[in-house]
Amino acid sequence: MKIKDNTLKFSFNLKDYPLEALHGAAYVFIDRAYLFLDNKSPKKIEVSLKGKKKLNKKQLEDLKGEFLNELLNYTVRVNLSKSNKKTREYIISQALFSAFGDYDINKEDEIKYEEDPLGIAIPWEDKHGKKQKK
Amino acid sequence: MEKNKKNKSIFIIFNKQLYKIKAIKLAIKEYQNLANFSFKQKENYIYVKLENIDKEVKKIIKDEFCNYVLFLMKF
Repeated sequence: MKIKDNTLKFSFNLKDYPLEALHGAAYVFIDRAYLFLDNKSPKKIEVSLKGKKKLNKKQLEDLKGEFLNELLNYTVRVNLSKSNKKTREYIISQALFSAFGDYDINKEDEIKYEEDPLGIAIPWEDKHGKKQKK
Repeated sequence: MEKNKKNKSIFIIFNKQLYKIKAIKLAIKEYQNLANFSFKQKENYIYVKLENIDKEVKKIIKDEFCNYVLFLMKF
């Protein structure tokens, strides 16, 4: 951890946190600090936190702590979202299926009896010929 | 990030693994009235050069630009 020119630089292992969580946490802090991300090695991320106002060492360290907490918060949210993905998709597909199902039923109701698609109204004679006399 | 004092231009080096080129291009589009931007991609990095920077924003443009790119990464 380095502190210089109102900027605190620290690094952590990207293996412990998803990239989406890092971007989410950074997004939360862009109104309070200037952030810059870099990676010194493929799995090690360096975060630069620069206070928008002049901050002392303790305030910068507090900011870092809050950033790491937010990072954890986002990590939980991302993991939860991944584990619930199938359930969410199932609920949405069921909701959409029900909606389309109703549409089909209503469409069936719209068929008028004069159309007689099952041929119920056709007289027996017309369908099978005249009755033979014994 | 490094500052070129001689030419009064600023270089920002973005890592492709952490920043999307689309977000950088969008940010340049929004900031182009404050400076002249040029960028090139090389290996794992995107190099952005800022020249003829507006005097009023010279001190903060680098940090604000980086924050704006991060903001655009959400979309």
